[in-house]
This record gives sequence, structure tokens and C-alpha cells, in this order.
Amino acid sequence: MRRLRRFFNRIFSFASKQRTEERLREEIASHLALQIADNVRLGMNEAEARRQALLKFGAVENMKEEYRAVQRFIFLDSLLQDIRFAFRTFCKSPGFTLIAILTLALGIGSTSAVFSVVDRVLFRSLPYPQSNQLVSFGFATPFSANEFLDAIDFKDWKNSRVFAEVTSVHPGGRDCELSESNPVRLECQQVDSNFLSTLGIRPMIGHDFTQEEDEPNAAPVALLSFGLWRSRYGSDPRIVGRSISLNGKATEIIGVLPASFEMPTLASADLLIPLQLNLSGLTRDRPQPLLLAFGRLRTGFTISQARAALEPLFAQSIKFVPAQFRREVTLRVRSLRDRQVHDAETASWVLFASVIALLLLAATNVANLLLARAAARRRETAIRAALGATPARLARQVLTESVLLSSLGGLLGCWLAYGLLRMFIAIAPDGLPLLQNARVDLRMLLFTLVISLACGLLFGLTPIWQSPQPEMLSGRDTQTVKRGPLRQLLVTSQIAISLILLTGAGLLLRSLWDLQAVPLGMDFRSVVTANITLPRYRYPQPAQQQVFFEQLEDRLSRIPGVTAFALSDFLPPSGRENAVTYANLQISGRSHPGAAISGMTGYRAVTLGYFAALGIPILHGRAFEKQDFSVGQNAVILNRALSQEMFGDENPVGQRMRFGPNDSWHLIVGVAADVKNNGLEAQTDPEFYITWDDSFRTVFDEAYVVIRTPLNPFVMGKWLRSGVASLDPKQLITVETMTHRVRELEDRPRFDAVLLSSFALTGLALAGIGIYGVIGFLVTQRRREIGVRMALGATPNAILKLIVGDVACWMGWGLLLGFAGSWFADEALRSLLFGVPPHDFEVAATVIGAIVLVSLAACYFPARRAMRVDPLIALRYE
Amino acid sequence: MKEKPEEKTEMKSDVQQGTLALMILKTLEVLGPVHGYGIARRIEQISGELLAVNQGTLYPVLLRLEQEGAISSKWGASENNRRARFYQLTRAGRKLLQAETREWKQTEAILSRFFELKPEDLR
Repeated sequence: MRRLRRFFNRIFSFASKQRTEERLREEIASHLALQIADNVRLGMNEAEARRQALLKFGAVENMKEEYRAVQRFIFLDSLLQDIRFAFRTFCKSPGFTLIAILTLALGIGSTSAVFSVVDRVLFRSLPYPQSNQLVSFGFATPFSANEFLDAIDFKDWKNSRVFAEVTSVHPGGRDCELSESNPVRLECQQVDSNFLSTLGIRPMIGHDFTQEEDEPNAAPVALLSFGLWRSRYGSDPRIVGRSISLNGKATEIIGVLPASFEMPTLASADLLIPLQLNLSGLTRDRPQPLLLAFGRLRTGFTISQARAALEPLFAQSIKFVPAQFRREVTLRVRSLRDRQVHDAETASWVLFASVIALLLLAATNVANLLLARAAARRRETAIRAALGATPARLARQVLTESVLLSSLGGLLGCWLAYGLLRMFIAIAPDGLPLLQNARVDLRMLLFTLVISLACGLLFGLTPIWQSPQPEMLSGRDTQTVKRGPLRQLLVTSQIAISLILLTGAGLLLRSLWDLQAVPLGMDFRSVVTANITLPRYRYPQPAQQQVFFEQLEDRLSRIPGVTAFALSDFLPPSGRENAVTYANLQISGRSHPGAAISGMTGYRAVTLGYFAALGIPILHGRAFEKQDFSVGQNAVILNRALSQEMFGDENPVGQRMRFGPNDSWHLIVGVAADVKNNGLEAQTDPEFYITWDDSFRTVFDEAYVVIRTPLNPFVMGKWLRSGVASLDPKQLITVETMTHRVRELEDRPRFDAVLLSSFALTGLALAGIGIYGVIGFLVTQRRREIGVRMALGATPNAILKLIVGDVACWMGWGLLLGFAGSWFADEALRSLLFGVPPHDFEVAATVIGAIVLVSLAACYFPARRAMRVDPLIALRYE
Repeated sequence: MKEKPEEKTEMKSDVQQGTLALMILKTLEVLGPVHGYGIARRIEQISGELLAVNQGTLYPVLLRLEQEGAISSKWGASENNRRARFYQLTRAGRKLLQAETREWKQTEAILSRFFELKPEDLR
């Protein structure tokens, strides 16, 4: 208690130093006056009385020191002094300070921001208890990114002894409409009744699905997501038991999911509804629903054990797969984490590596700067030591400066990290999982701060470690320039690192360039599209759906300003389309060479204006015409790839083909140019077009409206909406321009390229600053030497050569090392690149050119200073 | 190994500081409010050589006691009408003095028993 009181008193008096100092002086004066008065009373004269009083009082200054030590923390005093001194030296060399702080801020800021992004993807733990036990398993095929299972196989596999529990999810989720007063489209995920218990999650309120609720034809129930519960139902605590209208059916809400819930597929989920599969009623001879299977391993079992246990089941199941596909199907068992990060992983590692490289660059820069500064301050240190500063006191001064510098850099870095992260989130494509929730990671911020601090200390302390040399005091800088390898090594590594970073960025940029230049095979400018999906509960019959779209076509094609109008069931370049087995395609009266090839052929159903609306050229024959759309006409148009595959160079127009053994024959009326129908990176797949009302079609609930128009897309969008609303005011519609759809595909490569390039440019700038700093320092150090050389007749050009020669040597090594490194970087980046040849020469040349240019520019100014050294001044200097 | 001289003086002053504080507290208890010079004179009268020189060392101790809340101080006029700072025992100081006195007496008792110890007592 007493101690505490004293502690606060001392802190307090630190602030009110002036007043207490005053008080002490007055007290001493009063003490002496009283003593003198007493002495005079004892008969001494004035002078003697004063002398005796002073003697008795003792050493005043000593006492004052002691008094101050009691009064407050001396440590705080000298700290304040150090800080003031540090600020003064910073102000004296603003260039150094600015560069050091900026370098630190860049390093700390970008590292923290990127780590926060990458952490979500690579290192974050999944929001399920014992998540390392969770696996995803099933058939892997080339045409789907994720493994899946037929329901009937799922029934066989789920009882494997390696799993404690196995659950399944419907792959697509289901479009569902909250069909209340104003309908909304929601994401409903259909899951097994044991879905939540397998993941180890319990509803926040209410109860989990029961077995009975999962029975086919059970009364519909649903679990609300936390987000929907909050936004739509105002966090109503009595929501459980309430009935909502889902796709026109009264559905009971049985619970609310916790806020942290996420689907193992990372799909968004507003509602969970039971899958209601009739597993026991399944037979092999009917089409199977597909499922995504997730299992929780029994304690002690590994993924490879699970694979071994599933292998016999897989061997059994694959017998039912049609022979031509069997080769392409494999068993895949992987951890849930692997499934979630699979395509973000490479990008994330690349990002992470480049950030580490940047941090290295920043650290070497700070090291370089401080090293140069420390060398320049050797004399100051020696003088301070000679005046009685202990090594500890000197170290504390350096420490104060380093901490101050790092804190300033760190502060700016924090700010930068927040800004950068917000930028990342803004430009990130939808595909990067979980980025929306990314926060600046405090651990990382601290970590980088500590790194930079340690770096500052390590290099700032070097002059203290070397015991102060008395000759430093002589006023003549007799020290010869040390050509210690450390600084050169730093520059060399900086050049190497920048080269690797720049090569990576160059490759990604080149890839993005190529991607944007990919010919799509269509003219997507001034095309507006709209997606319309008819809900089954309001349009249960295909005939009703057909009627709706007929009316829609009738209405929309009469909107003024429409150059061409079409409906299509799928739209490039989304990759989604219908498909038939290629082997089943038949040509009338002959066989075709591809009959033995496995694989699928896509097709889409279109209306009259499709080719005109998308600007797809017809290569042979003609586009669809009015007469093709009357009943029984059965016309088909092939794309060039399919024509090539089935007919070689022959013109197929006039031939007849069908898509399956029981199908009716179709007349080939034309061949259209290839369209990138499956994303920008993929090859053009064979496909064909049938008419909108072809009897081959079975599904009619979804359509894309394609409109070519010179009008503003917003205006057209508004007309489109009102056109649809006049047919059915409750129908939802999504309007997009074709340009937007195409550009969306470039989002991900653009994200990667922008990120890496910004790092590479920052890195290049840092390397430039580093080189500038080192050369500048060396020139200053070698001033005398240069002076002597010039006095002995060296021309400015020879001096230039001397300086630049050094840089060239380090640069050569740096480039060599960097080139080797970028070779590996190229390999690592392969999967992110599109159309860039391995070890692209142009990129390498550009990058090396840029580095050479920056290095030369960085040593230009110091070298010019060296050339202008006046030998007289240089020799007299000091 | 030789002991460093500074360490010795430091230790000595530690003991002195402790006893000095106690003396100050006792003085204030006996005399009531009194200024620094008064305390110094009183201690000099009683203890002789301890405060004959270096009276200044009193002030850091006074400051510490005040920071600890054992004494309080304010400016006032001395007997011959000079401005001086007067110190006064607080309630906490009184308690502290009692505690310290008790402790001191115990220590003294134990030590004196040790000093009275003769070789034959330990046999």
C-alpha cells in the first residue's frame, strides 16, 4: 500500500518536476537561513556563520541528486532525454528517417495484410471440433473439381468401419424462394439428418433435424442461418415453431444455426433443409441423385487407412460405371481442409512467399541503413564513451532510437495493413474462400514489428560491440574503408529477391494479357443478358414453362432498340450446359471416327436470333430460320470443333445425325464458329445447337435472354424487368451485360497479377533505395581515397567506372542468383499461368532490364557526387 | 575477493536511512509540527555524530516519507518569523511509527540475546 502510494507519487512528480525542484531550493534556503541565524546568535560573524552552516548541511548537489532519485524515476528522465535526442537526430537527417520509416511501414503493412488473407486460406482452423478428422470422399473425374457419389454408392459406403459418422449434402444446393409477401431468392442447402452432428455443430436455438424429418414426404422443416435470422426475422428468440412459406409450401422453422456456421463446401447457406432421400428404395437401373459425401474418421484412423478401406468398395461401385468412363474415374479421399483450399492453395503460397521476400527486402534495407548510420556515428560513440558513458547507457540510446523508428514504421504499417486488406477484399474475386471475413491479424502485426525491431537493434548495436577506438577521437578519420562482405551481400540478395518477385509478377501479367486477348468467338459488346429461373411451385408443368417463355419472347422482341433477341437455356462462357455422351452420337448411314472416344458433348437450345445476337459467325450452311421451329423439323447446327471431330474436313451440311439410339434424326443445317463456352482458359469443346422447342429437350425452367442493343444497358435492363413483371409480377430476374460476364472470368487472374505486381514494384523500389543507400555511404566513406586518386590524375570517368564497377559486380551476382531462383518460381507458378511458354524469354529480358535500369539509376546520384569531389577539399576534409 | 568500497557505503547508508526515517517519525511524534531544520537539530542533540554533518541528507528521507503518506507538510512561519516548511505526522505515519518501533524492539531484543551469548551457553 505504502509502496503503491509512493509509486503513484513518483509518477505524478515526474509531471510536476518544476514545482518540486522549486520547493527543494526554497527549503534549502530556509534551512540555511535558520542555521545561520542560530550561528549568529552563538556569536559568529555573518561570513563564518554562513560557512559553518554550509559545512553542516553537506554537499548540496549530491543531496539534490539523491532527492531527485527519491522524488521520481531517474530512468524516465533519461528515457525522455534519449527520445528527445533521437528526434533531434531524426530531424537532422530527414532522408534517412523517411526512408527507414517508409521501408518499415511497407514491410510491416504488406506482410500483415497478406498474412491476414493467406491465414484464412492456409492456416486457419476450420470451425468444427476436431476438424482434422473430417474428410471428403467419392469419385473424382476430370470434369468436376470436387469428388461426388451416387446415392446408391453412398448407401453402401457410409457403413465403412473407418468412419464414426458419414453425412451427405446435395451438390447444387437448391434454389428456393421465400414466397411471402415480397419473394426473395435464397440459397437452400439440402443435407442429411446427421449433417450437423457429423460436423460437431449444434443449433444455437431449437433442435437438429431428426430421422423422421429426413424421411421422404415428411412435413417440410428448415434450420435458419444466423444471418437470415437476424436480417429477416429481427433475431426473434421465439422463431422456433414458426411457419414460413418456402417454394409455396408451409415450412416449420425448427432452429437457428450458430453465427460461426459454414458449409463444408463453403457454399452460402441461408437455410438448411433435409435431403429426404429414400435410400432403401434406390435401384441401379434408375438415374441416381448425386451427393457430396463427408465423413468423420474414427479416432486413430488416418486418411490413408480410410482410402485403403474404401478401395474395395470403389472397385465394386465402378463396375456400374459405363465402360467408356471407367478409365477417367478414380477414388479420392482427402481432408476437408484440402478440399476447401485446393485451388486457392497455390495462389496463397505464392502470395505468402512473395510477402516473405518483401519482408526480407525491407529488413535488409533497414539493416543497410542502420549499418551505414552506425558507421558514420562511430566518432560520436567514441566521444560519448570517452566522456564516461557506459556501454549499457550507449546501448540504451541505440535501443531507444530503434524502438522509436520501428514504432513509427509500425504505426504507419498498421494503417497501411488495414488499407491494403480492404483493397484486397474489394478486388478479390468471389472464388477466394472466406476472404470477406479476413481481419488484420494482430499476431502478424506484432511479429513483423518484432522482426523489424530486432533487425534495427542487431545492426544499430554494431558500433557498441566494437569497443570504442581511441583513435576515433583524434579528429582524423584514419579508418580505412572496410570492404566487409556484409553490405555487398545485402545488395546482392536484394537484387536476387527483386528479380524473382518481378519475374513472378511479369509471368502473371503476361498471362492476364494473353487471357484478355483470347478470341471468344463471339462479339460480346453491347449485349445484355438476363437469367430467368421459373420456380417449380408456380410452374410445375413443362408446358406452363414453355408458354411463359413463348409469351416472354413475344413481348421482349418488340421492345424498341433491340437489334437481335434470343433465348437460350445456357450461355457461354459460364461452362454450364447440357451434355450427351459423345459415343452415343450417330450419323445417318455411316459410322463416325470418334465413336470409341469417351467424353461428353455439350449442347444448348436456342431461339431464332441467337447467332445474330451474340455475333457468332456461321461457317457453312445457315443459321436457324423460321421454318426450323415448326414441329417435327429437327434441325441442328454443329460448332467447328464437333464438325471437325465427326466429319473431318468434309462439309457436314445436309447430313443427318442423332444424339442417342432412340432419338429422332436431326438435319445438320449449318456449322458455327467455335465459342469459348467453358471459361477462358479451357480449350474449345465440341458442342451443338438445337432449336428452342426441340423434342430432345426435357427441362424448360431456366432461360437466358440475350439482347443485342445499341442502347444503354441500364435502360435495357429496366425495360427487361418491366417486361417480365408484366407477365408475372412475382418472377425474379438477374440482368447482366455480357461484357461483365466475360470480365468476371478474368477476376481471379487479375487479382493474382495485381497483388504480385504491386509487391514486385514495391520490392524493386526497396532494392533501389537499398542500392542508393549503400553506394551513397560508400562514396562518402571513400571520399579521401577518391580525392587522392583525383590528385594523382584520375579522370572523373575513371572514378565513375570505379563506383559503377562495384555495383555491376554485385549486380551480376544478384542477377545470377535471382535467375536461378526465378527458374523455380516459374515452375511453382505454372498452374496459375495461361498460355505463357515455360521460362518465357520476353518476361526475363524485361525484368532484368528493369532491374539493371533501377540499379544504375540508384547509383547515378552518389556516383555523380563522387565525380565532383574536389581533391583539395577531400584531402583537407576532417 | 575484495569487496568493492561503494557497496559498503551503500549498505551503511541503507541502515542509516532506515534509522533516520524512524528518528524523524519519533521526533515528529514528540514535537508535533516542526520544520526540517528543527528536526535536524533535534536529531543532532540526541544522536550526536549521526547528523553533525550532512544535514541535507534529511530532505530525501523526508520526501520519501511524505510520498509514502507517513507525514504531510506545508509552508508556515518559524519562531523568528522566517518562512519554513513544517512537517507533521499523519495517522498512517503514527501507525507506521508504532509498527516500526515494535519491530525495532524485537530485533533489538533478539540481537542483544545474541550478544549476551557466551561460549558455554552453546555447549
